[in-house]
Amino acid sequence: MATAQEKSSVMAGFQAVIPLVLGYFPIAFSFGVAATRTGLSPLEAFSLSLIVFAGAAQFLAIALLASGAPVLVAGLTLAAMNLRHLLYGPTLLQRAGEDRSTRWGWLWAFALTDEVFGAALGALAKGQRFSEGFMVILGFGAYGSWLAGTVAGAWAGGGALDSWPAVGAALDFMLPALFLALLLSILSARQVPAILIAAAATVVGTWYGSSTLGLFAGMIGGAVVGVFGRKAEAVDAG
Amino acid sequence: MRADVLQLALMAGGLTYLWRYLPLRLNLGDMPKDGLLARFLAATGPAAIATLFIAEMLPLLQDTQAVQGRAGVGVLAVILAFVWRKSVVFATLAGAFACGAAAALGLS
Repeated sequence: MATAQEKSSVMAGFQAVIPLVLGYFPIAFSFGVAATRTGLSPLEAFSLSLIVFAGAAQFLAIALLASGAPVLVAGLTLAAMNLRHLLYGPTLLQRAGEDRSTRWGWLWAFALTDEVFGAALGALAKGQRFSEGFMVILGFGAYGSWLAGTVAGAWAGGGALDSWPAVGAALDFMLPALFLALLLSILSARQVPAILIAAAATVVGTWYGSSTLGLFAGMIGGAVVGVFGRKAEAVDAG
Repeated sequence: MRADVLQLALMAGGLTYLWRYLPLRLNLGDMPKDGLLARFLAATGPAAIATLFIAEMLPLLQDTQAVQGRAGVGVLAVILAFVWRKSVVFATLAGAFACGAAAALGLS
């Protein structure tokens, strides 16, 4: 029998997943349209969303397939691009404190995307207690929206947005808008140095290397600055 | 269905799942809260989200002035909407709507 706390976490999961469902559907729609535009069948587009479930990597996947890149090279490129996900689970568990649990980790880890991680982190920062039910609802609600959006986009076809440039522009901006809103939701003065360094390192890494290097430089650089900032605070407090 | 698409999906999806799941198997129960790894992980979240936002914005900022302009309108709308309602979904949709409206009004 579910405890009151578990029921509360489940309800919180349904509330927290609404932004992800609303944000994911149009982005996945764009992916479905882009995939069919580059020659993938609707089934192939759906399979990528079903198996990979990583937005940016899926957009890169269709570009690599269109360019004729060898499967092994393309697969390893996409996997390298997603290496940042190594940090997400431990970060959430560290924030979860005494509530941490991984009994169903094999399940909810599948859906631990950038946006699900960001939404979970934002909820925990606002006082939500960690539970695996919360994570399953958050992750698989987003997953369902992603699959539905992909199907709708693939069904609409490659030329769906050609006569609607304003809708295309709005859909293109959905993902940065979601990240910015998530960032604002967890923003505090203490984190500003880490955020600024992350932003600067992302720009430098992308300009002088690649977008994947930029992602790594930003995350690692910002986190390292955060470590030293927190250490300095601890010293000052002491 | 083409075999190369399925192979790519299985390889990328399988490895991505491992990146997401295997770290959960690490025992973090005894990790000191003021330890190096704990501080690193605590700082990772904001840094990661900031990084992803900048990574999404860079292609828009390197595009035409029209795209830059409507991206700026979208960013402003997200900030104003979040300050007003403190809602992630409201701010996200407001930003996308503002960006689309800017495109419809000529910034395309």
